[in-house]
Amino acid sequence: MREAPILVVGAGPAGASAAATIAEAGLPVLLIEQRDQFGGAIHRQPAAGNDSHVWRPARHRRNWAGLMARLQACAGRIETRTETIFLGVDSEGRFLFDDRRAACVFARRPRAAIIAVGAVETIRPFPGWELPGVMSAGGAQVLLKETGRPPEGPILVAGSGALLPALAAQLAKAGNPPVAVLERGRPWNAPAALARLALSWGPMSEAAAYATTLATSRVPYRCGAIVTQAEPDGDGLKVGIRVGDQRQVLRVRHLLIHDGIEPNRTGIPLPDPDAAVPVLLAGDGREALGADAAILDGRRAATQVLARLGQATRRMRSDERGLIRARGFQAALTQALHSEPVVPAPETLICRCEGRSYAELAALAPDASAREIRLMGRFGLGACQGRFCGPMIAALRGQPLPAAIPPRWPLRPVSVAALARLTTDETE
Amino acid sequence: MKPTRFGPSLYGTNRFCMASSSPLHVAVIGTGIVGASAAHFLAAAGARVTLLDASGPAAGATGASDGAVSVASKRPGPMMDLARHARAFYVRHERDGLFRGLFHRRSTFLVARTAIEADLVTRHGADLAAAGERVVEVDRATLLARIPGLGDSVCAALEIPDDGHALGYEITQRLLATSRVDIRRNAPVSEIVMRAGRACGVLIRDEFLPADAVLVAAGIGSAPLLGLGEILIPRKGQMAVTDRATTAGPAIDGHLMAASYLAAKRGIVRDNSHIGLVIDPLMTGQFLIGGSREDHRSDHSTDAVTIAAILREALDLYPPLAARRVLRSFAGVRSASRDGLPIVGPHPHRPGVVIATGFEGDGICLGPFMGASAARLLLGERPEADLSSLSPQRLVRAEVHA
Repeated sequence: MREAPILVVGAGPAGASAAATIAEAGLPVLLIEQRDQFGGAIHRQPAAGNDSHVWRPARHRRNWAGLMARLQACAGRIETRTETIFLGVDSEGRFLFDDRRAACVFARRPRAAIIAVGAVETIRPFPGWELPGVMSAGGAQVLLKETGRPPEGPILVAGSGALLPALAAQLAKAGNPPVAVLERGRPWNAPAALARLALSWGPMSEAAAYATTLATSRVPYRCGAIVTQAEPDGDGLKVGIRVGDQRQVLRVRHLLIHDGIEPNRTGIPLPDPDAAVPVLLAGDGREALGADAAILDGRRAATQVLARLGQATRRMRSDERGLIRARGFQAALTQALHSEPVVPAPETLICRCEGRSYAELAALAPDASAREIRLMGRFGLGACQGRFCGPMIAALRGQPLPAAIPPRWPLRPVSVAALARLTTDETE
Repeated sequence: MKPTRFGPSLYGTNRFCMASSSPLHVAVIGTGIVGASAAHFLAAAGARVTLLDASGPAAGATGASDGAVSVASKRPGPMMDLARHARAFYVRHERDGLFRGLFHRRSTFLVARTAIEADLVTRHGADLAAAGERVVEVDRATLLARIPGLGDSVCAALEIPDDGHALGYEITQRLLATSRVDIRRNAPVSEIVMRAGRACGVLIRDEFLPADAVLVAAGIGSAPLLGLGEILIPRKGQMAVTDRATTAGPAIDGHLMAASYLAAKRGIVRDNSHIGLVIDPLMTGQFLIGGSREDHRSDHSTDAVTIAAILREALDLYPPLAARRVLRSFAGVRSASRDGLPIVGPHPHRPGVVIATGFEGDGICLGPFMGASAARLLLGERPEADLSSLSPQRLVRAEVHA
């Protein structure tokens, strides 16, 4: 019988790095990617038929080209499955995948698994965030990378974090600079954190490039500004904004919102490096430290798996130092952009799948169980199973949304017909 | 008049609890549909109730089941009769407002796909009719008109038009929201404390909660508290929920129950990997598809091979499901008694303790009525139906003979 492979889920920077490291050590790899191409969100490649590349920093381009070359060099040991969705692990230890092209679910039992499924974006909800025309900034950025075209009409970018100026600069370079970037935080109030950020050469030079682009395109970057609501306005949006005590209304076509990222852990198996089939997390799906750190983290996870399987490996002290640096940078950034949570208006939508409001969330008992939140509150019960609303609910309730134990599969909706056609690699 | 500790006696004597005239205080263990119903009706009668749960409301089988309030599926005999009482209880409380909007009348279709199954369905229909239930024979053409898209293998069906639908967790929530009871979540009871031959409270970790009487309605968690041995068998059921086929109410005009389900209920099959197929069209437009019957399994995990087998069965019966997506799979644990009958009544040798458990897969149907019946027992009143066949006393006798 053929040797069972090491499973790597996700072909973004962390997954690609992990897969290359394991294949270079001579072991077979099964690399699963939900899209039709590798890259993840950060290195998303243009869709077929589009050859206009979105501007991105040279460092990212170099990093990705390097990873692709490494995968290419040991392609013989890597079985890749694209357009294939990881559905989770069932009670018998089967790793389940939805092959969307074949419309069939298949199960495998790998020797070990590295899950590198990246992060989910978080937002701070306000009335109207669910309207057409409002989109997450990360989603808009991925679309821009795929199509090469910015959305048409006036764009407002709002929320918090490093993605806002990055996206704004990319929109500007692609020909449609946003009318403004609204940053919720007030970094000038946290000089110590700013000073620590200034010591990080790589990210700061990237930030300087974005700042230059925004200045050239005359895109205002306002701190301490928050979106209070959005309403339909013709084929666009009327966006209410508050800066301190001042209120203002902006009319735009698109509102792109983002308030950070969190590891995507909904339905993902719990990490267990010591299990008979070791499971490790890597990249932003383990700890949201960004694209550079994800490459190091993928190699760290792969090295750990190789050591578990008795392969002699070199411990990469420089990788660990790199992860510590990235953690320090993210902590400083979080501190610099910190802002107190705002209690949303009662009618604010929290769960888009089931149409549940903040008033309905607040009505739940403070010690409500996971079952009550899901079944009686109908939060986390819809198509996303809490992947998107989970972090929002956690922030608003001040405690994590209790997860199902063991994690539930399927972690994405899967066709009844495809699941009925389940194939396994077992002899039964 | 409010029931007091002097009040109607609680199956045995109250002479050790005569210190005050404050209302009867009942500790209800388990906030599933049975415990919530008992608490609701106890509180309505003026008793003070503390509802305890190791987790929270509807945490067990109540929150992990289909919503069949079905007489159609019951074994002939006391279960069929009690299910008719229990369904009538839903109808009555839908009318008086308690269950308004939560209980819906809908037909059950018992569906046969082979000659042997058709024979079984016919026999079951005769039993239902003998119990006084309305039963309509439906030929394939009529059935197709009612449920377009039904599979080619379906050859015969019976319609039981007076059945209904309710979701256990919604009923539980309503019962709790409409009564003033203390709910204590994360409060696992480790022991019922007896003093001078009678229940005087419960232990929650190291805390003693005094009570005049105790109701044990903790599903599979009941057995360790009762000292009656292994009276319950966990029987796991795996299920899947789909996305919405429509946003305008149930996607099909009735609850589809395969004869394989009936076979399991009538004790004809005892295979541990048996699938008793039901396709439950939810009010949300989603489908709930179940389920497996796995004895001695009390975990809540699901496996792909079983779920895929359930879906293949479901697609054979109702092929339009191929267009749906599975949103989640989950498992519930039925609490089955050894003789297949629920266990409802006073504890055989612990005065002050009443038991209401062992409803297996019939808890949503029977739960509200049985909870109300348990409340009446605790208040020293006679239940509305004859529950003698469910008496815990039979477990003691069985033990002696064993």
